[in-house]
Amino acid sequence: MIKRLAALVLLTFVSSSLLFAQTDWIRTGTGLGVEKVRLAVPDFKAASNDAQTAPLLTVFNETLWNDLDNAGIFELVSKSFYPLSVPGTPPELQLAAWSNPPVNASMVAFGNFGVSGSDVAMQGWLYDVRNTGSPMVLGKQYRDPASPANARLQAHRFADEIIFRLGGGINGIAESKVYFISSRSGHKEVWQMDYDGAAQTQLTHLSSIASLSPRVSPDSTRVIFSTYAKRGLELVMYSLELGRMVSFPAYNGTNISPAWSPDGSKIAFSSSMHGHSEIYVADSAGANPKRLTVSSGHPDSSPVWNPKTGAQVAFVSGRTGLPQIYIMDADGTNVQRMTDTGYAVSPSWSPNGQLLAFAWRRSYGPGAPGSQDIYLMDVTTRQWVQLTHDSGTNDFPSWSPDGRHIVYESKQGGRSQIWSMLADGTKQHALSASGENSQPNWSWK
Amino acid sequence: MEPGDNIYLEREPWGRFFIWSVILHGTLVGSIVIYIYIYAAFVSHGENWGNTEFGDAMSATLVSRAPVPLPAPTEQTQNLVANESKGLTESQPKAVEQQPEALPIPDRNAKKKPEQRTSPEKPRTPPPEDNRVPFGQGGPVSGPYGVFTANNAKGGFSFTGAAGDFGSQFGWYVDVVRRKVSENWMKYEIDPTISSSRRVYIVFDILSSGEPTNVQIEQSSGVPSLDQSAIRALQRIDNFGPLPGGYRGSKVSVEFWFDYKR
Repeated sequence: MIKRLAALVLLTFVSSSLLFAQTDWIRTGTGLGVEKVRLAVPDFKAASNDAQTAPLLTVFNETLWNDLDNAGIFELVSKSFYPLSVPGTPPELQLAAWSNPPVNASMVAFGNFGVSGSDVAMQGWLYDVRNTGSPMVLGKQYRDPASPANARLQAHRFADEIIFRLGGGINGIAESKVYFISSRSGHKEVWQMDYDGAAQTQLTHLSSIASLSPRVSPDSTRVIFSTYAKRGLELVMYSLELGRMVSFPAYNGTNISPAWSPDGSKIAFSSSMHGHSEIYVADSAGANPKRLTVSSGHPDSSPVWNPKTGAQVAFVSGRTGLPQIYIMDADGTNVQRMTDTGYAVSPSWSPNGQLLAFAWRRSYGPGAPGSQDIYLMDVTTRQWVQLTHDSGTNDFPSWSPDGRHIVYESKQGGRSQIWSMLADGTKQHALSASGENSQPNWSWK
Repeated sequence: MEPGDNIYLEREPWGRFFIWSVILHGTLVGSIVIYIYIYAAFVSHGENWGNTEFGDAMSATLVSRAPVPLPAPTEQTQNLVANESKGLTESQPKAVEQQPEALPIPDRNAKKKPEQRTSPEKPRTPPPEDNRVPFGQGGPVSGPYGVFTANNAKGGFSFTGAAGDFGSQFGWYVDVVRRKVSENWMKYEIDPTISSSRRVYIVFDILSSGEPTNVQIEQSSGVPSLDQSAIRALQRIDNFGPLPGGYRGSKVSVEFWFDYKR
């Protein structure tokens, strides 16, 4: 009798817990947070039979796809799902064919592209295929002299328009540049490249034994960096408009790690002009340097302004031993330590002012072979997250102007190269391959 | 032995069975209560889970992030589809699916006249105006753009004021607003002792440049930290991007609501 009763009780509870577990499983399968826009990007149609069209169209299609894929806000639908008839103009677009499975897209970017005469012309549209009433979101056309560079430029522009509309008013980065140091010419010189690693060009020809930390001005007209000259490491200025070096005062001592204020009117840098390495602020022509930090013998370096407000400066200080990240107000007051342990260097402040990216070796010293990785820290809560894992030594993170990407230097297998990733640590890929490349800096726009 | 003594002698075996009876009945009642509770919490909503037509279900991430099945929520989740407001739209009844014609196997009853097939039920036409909420007085739109979910929380919104049919015409823009607000809503700003709260309603305008202005609490949740986190989510946003070119008005007004459940 008792055994039967116990079996009954057991059965009752087991069956109710089974029912419960089953229901729970169903809930797990439902929507998971905010989703990315599902975007289909069929290849653009050739609009002319010109012999130049085909190679330029390939460049255009590849660039457009990569730009949108790298934007971080889209889930691009694989081309293998697309309908067989690809639209080149709005009347050719069958909304249902794109909004239904298997494509299941909510947006389609399509258009046509062709060379006519000496020009290359592109027409592109962005359609909300779920909205049959008024599907058009965007329509653009560009016309430029026919060249691979212009095909890329047109793809960049169109991608930026799409990202601007669907990304909530944040400008795309397809036309932004990355400045970096490369030794591929035999000397460490300042180079620039497109954000995706294309069009790498040498800017300076100083033949110095070292050039360090190039920093482009907010209006993208000048690059300041430090280089070995007669007095040691000096700050020098390169004009992107003039294509040559322009004068900048030479201070005593070692002068490194310059940084532009967000309005472009001031430069913060680390200098030992009065003995110890401290943070100084001068105006953009180098006049009136003023000292901000007083750490009595401990080095302070790598200042970087809060780009949103310009009211705070993050920097690296060795005042407690190993270098740590600190922030202070722009007048040098209210110094706060951000990192608590290890070896933290190279801060970079996100464009919205909320996050710091930096390189951190959390366990440092003999017997603690921790790797140096890129981390993000929320400035207000000091919560941090690790972005790179098991990928060599990483340093010099620099934010993209849209705050969605980070470019950084990564040393994997002996040589430093420039890498790029989304700010959540995904989509890591190398931008440079030849020579030794380091210390990237992303332009402000 | 007195005649009445028998009564006292018989009490002991009766008491033992009484205890077992209580245990058995208690167990039965308990399992019925658990069953009803679970049924009410999950099964009766089963049709809506994962039905994207009505927006995604809420707080699913909570379960998916947990390594073990979590206990059922102690509160009824708010049904987004059937709220008090009748909303601006009415869902159409499902069209009756026609089964492929099956030929009856002829048998002894073959002489019987085959039953006339009833014609498929026509979709019920929505009754006129009486169940339509006058413009601007409806609750959250229960359409695909009305709702967002995030970790432990969900929100929704409606476009009101000068917007007219903004939501249906420029669904992609509404989508941008939804994504941007939910991205900028930092749940860690909410008092960690709060497990759930009432809904907070925020109203704001979006200028034609895309800039949010006039951010105000329309109805407080009663939890100051939740109200503040919702306001801050809007304050973090500089720009939603310019209003669509085809829109004639100079601004749209948005009512955005946030629900929080840990």
